[in-house]
Amino acid sequence: MKSYMRLRYILLLLISVLILGYVAFQWSKAEPGAKKIIVGVKALDEIEFWRVLIEGVNTASREFGVDVSVVGPTQEIEVDLQIQLLEEAIKQKPDAIVMAAGDYNRLVPVAESIRKADIPLIMIDSAVNGDYAQSLIATDNVNAGQKAGKELSSLLPADAKVAIVSFVQGTSTQIEREQGVRSILESRSGTEIVGTYYSEGKEERAYEITKKLLLERPDLNGIVGLNEPSTVGAGRAIRELGLGGKVKLVGFDSSVKEVKLLEEGVLQATIVQKPFNIGYLGIKTAVSIIEGDKVSRNVYTDSVVINKDNMYTEENQKLLFPFVEE
Amino acid sequence: MKAPQRIKTIQSRIASSFVMLVLFTALLLIFISYRLSESAVRETAESYTSELINQVNANIQTYITGMKDISLAAMNNPNVREYLASADELQPAELAILKAKISEYFHSIRVSRKDIASINIFGAGDTFISDRADAELNPYIALSEQPWYRQAKENKGQTVISSSHVQPVIKGEYRWVVSLSRELSGVNPSNGLGILLIDLNFKVINDMLSKLDLGNRGYVFVIDRQGRIVYHPQQQLLYSNLKTERLERVISDKQGGFVVKEGGASRIYSIKDTDFGWKIVGVFYENELVDNKKQMQLSFAIAGLLCLGVGVLFSVVISRNLTRPIKKLQEKMMEVEKGNFDIRVPVGHSREISGLARSFNVMVLKVKELMDQIVVEQEIKRKSELNALQAQINPHFLYNTLDSIIWMAESKKHDEVILMTSALARLFRASLSKGREMIPIATEVEHITNYLKIQQMRYQDKIRFALAIDRELYPYLTLKVLLQPLVENAIYHGIKNKEGPGTVTITGKFQHNRIEFQVRDDGIGMDQSKVETLLTSKEGNPARNSVGIANVHQRIQLYFGAEYGLSYTSEPGSGTCVKVLIPAVHPEEWRSLEGDVP
Repeated sequence: MKSYMRLRYILLLLISVLILGYVAFQWSKAEPGAKKIIVGVKALDEIEFWRVLIEGVNTASREFGVDVSVVGPTQEIEVDLQIQLLEEAIKQKPDAIVMAAGDYNRLVPVAESIRKADIPLIMIDSAVNGDYAQSLIATDNVNAGQKAGKELSSLLPADAKVAIVSFVQGTSTQIEREQGVRSILESRSGTEIVGTYYSEGKEERAYEITKKLLLERPDLNGIVGLNEPSTVGAGRAIRELGLGGKVKLVGFDSSVKEVKLLEEGVLQATIVQKPFNIGYLGIKTAVSIIEGDKVSRNVYTDSVVINKDNMYTEENQKLLFPFVEE
Repeated sequence: MKAPQRIKTIQSRIASSFVMLVLFTALLLIFISYRLSESAVRETAESYTSELINQVNANIQTYITGMKDISLAAMNNPNVREYLASADELQPAELAILKAKISEYFHSIRVSRKDIASINIFGAGDTFISDRADAELNPYIALSEQPWYRQAKENKGQTVISSSHVQPVIKGEYRWVVSLSRELSGVNPSNGLGILLIDLNFKVINDMLSKLDLGNRGYVFVIDRQGRIVYHPQQQLLYSNLKTERLERVISDKQGGFVVKEGGASRIYSIKDTDFGWKIVGVFYENELVDNKKQMQLSFAIAGLLCLGVGVLFSVVISRNLTRPIKKLQEKMMEVEKGNFDIRVPVGHSREISGLARSFNVMVLKVKELMDQIVVEQEIKRKSELNALQAQINPHFLYNTLDSIIWMAESKKHDEVILMTSALARLFRASLSKGREMIPIATEVEHITNYLKIQQMRYQDKIRFALAIDRELYPYLTLKVLLQPLVENAIYHGIKNKEGPGTVTITGKFQHNRIEFQVRDDGIGMDQSKVETLLTSKEGNPARNSVGIANVHQRIQLYFGAEYGLSYTSEPGSGTCVKVLIPAVHPEEWRSLEGDVP
């Protein structure tokens, strides 16, 4: 009789301890709930593209309630620094890493070690050589290149000489865009692509290359700038040599400088990506993976052809002038 | 839980009733208070949202009213009036001065107002007056194609408020602004002289709206009359169709808000109309309220569980306390059942239980008394039965003795007759001994002596008697008529059937503080099986003498205990010896003992 009573007390005590334990567990679980995601971008604020992308990242992190930190070098060319930053990110053991690869090949080991650390990896904007990412969110760069190719093609005479001013050799975006551009122009009879030149993502370099090229090749009819600094640099060279409108220029991305070139008629069209969307979807996908949902391996975001006529439409304004500043 | 067995105890019944009660009350209270706090939270959220939106509305209204005021002030400015009235007639130099004055005036306004980005008048041709003297028109932009310009023209003097847009008209500037534009007319209202453009720096609105806190995911957006987005934090997502916004419903809504349900999650829209056609919309995610809700649920659940836990504990303790005296009573009763009547239940605190305990105690006491009484009565009964038995003198003996007396009288043996008669008389006196059960051994010796005398006279030479009882035994007590049945037995079953004379020897002596008598004969003896039945069988052996022997044995044991009594040893052909063991009881002691027995 006595032991039976004692048993019941022990049972009661056990139950209350269990309840308290469960409650404590719940509380502790409820408190630090925010998942940590590290976003490795190619450049922090040198280029408007990345600023808009980061804004998309921030919008998503606010919406999905995740803790996001963005790391990246100041310039796209600093691939080693990006690798170093990402290696440090792995040590922090985040719940996911969202990465824009600064180089198609050199970031492969980093991607590998992220996967080895069992951290979900989402690539945005540009991928690495190999199948490491659970999902890739990027502009369909081949398609964007094709758009640029078509746009330029419509402006060129039958026999045309075209140059491509690219940026950092080896990034997937560059490779794919060039591929897109070439696929259109090479299929065009009589069109010759005189070569691809690398600006290393620097406007000054693009300017110098283009200027030299224009001087060397006066027969050049068109230039494709594969990113913003390359386009602006090429545009500056064309303007300076008074070739605005004669040498057709189709570029990528947007900036006030490009807007001015568009207005002036030096730049005929620019292919604008949607970095905000890339950043936003990067985080959204990362959250989905963390929560165990299935995600598609490839998410392509839109690109838009912007020319002088449509640059001030309601929607394009927001793409061309993403920030409200004094 | 072994339900069927446990439910039967009062304790578990009480406990489970308490638990039920606690559970019910706790659940009810939690339910009610949860519902109350839930609606309170919701109301707070809703009123917070609408208050926030009112605040936003007031702020935006202030900006727009400010712009309108500036436009009125500008139109009523004498310089502007002069410029409008007589621009055509003035000399270029005078016009330049006037323009400079107006520009300075605009500049002073703009400087005083942070929210104003620029104030301009666009006249006919490409003339324009800006608040900044050095401002140039963007040569690549056609003024007449600008929406604010066109709409001002179309509205003929009415102010037009644009949506947010990039203002590209000034060279090198691409500002996000909200434009107020109106056509300026001179004396003839139908004849427009120019357009007044006041740009509100959109940053002020953008900053204000982006900093609003409507939960983690909640936001505020603004649309204009045409449903164009003035401000939306996720504008780019909307343009790319990654997100949709309920713009049409917002435009057509008249109630000031609605709720959108989308895949389980619902958003609460609360809408505020402004005087100039904009709609300010606050969007609140209900599942953020649910986040709150979950925490609330959790804390209520904890409170409930704690209540329940304490309740259960208390009910167990209370029910235990209540039933403990009953259990004790039960335990005691079980002991009583086992035969222990010396149990007393402590009288507890509660009236019912103490009443029960008292009654129980009284009952047990009564039962014990009755039992004792029964025992005593039984004993008395037994003793009186035995007394009666022992009082019986073998009628054959009396008969034979009387026969012998008669025969002696006939033979004129007067002496013998006297001897025998007096012996018989003494025998009877001794056996009566005033009705006492216990008699001094002296009396018993006298009794047996007289008996032997009679038997001696009857059997003459056939039997020899030897009586050797220590004199020191005489004062001690013995049961009366102890030896006579044994001697009788020895005679009738031992010697009588023997050929030739026999001897009966009676001895008595101390044996370690006890007294031992021996009655020995050299008669025919008995076999072992008979010896064994002698003392035990009462009914089994019809022989009267056996009954007498068994009786002696029982009487001794009844009076003195089981360790006393008779023991036989016998061998067929050589005789029988019976030993009688009794305690050495002194008369003094005995009297005190006797006194106890009622």
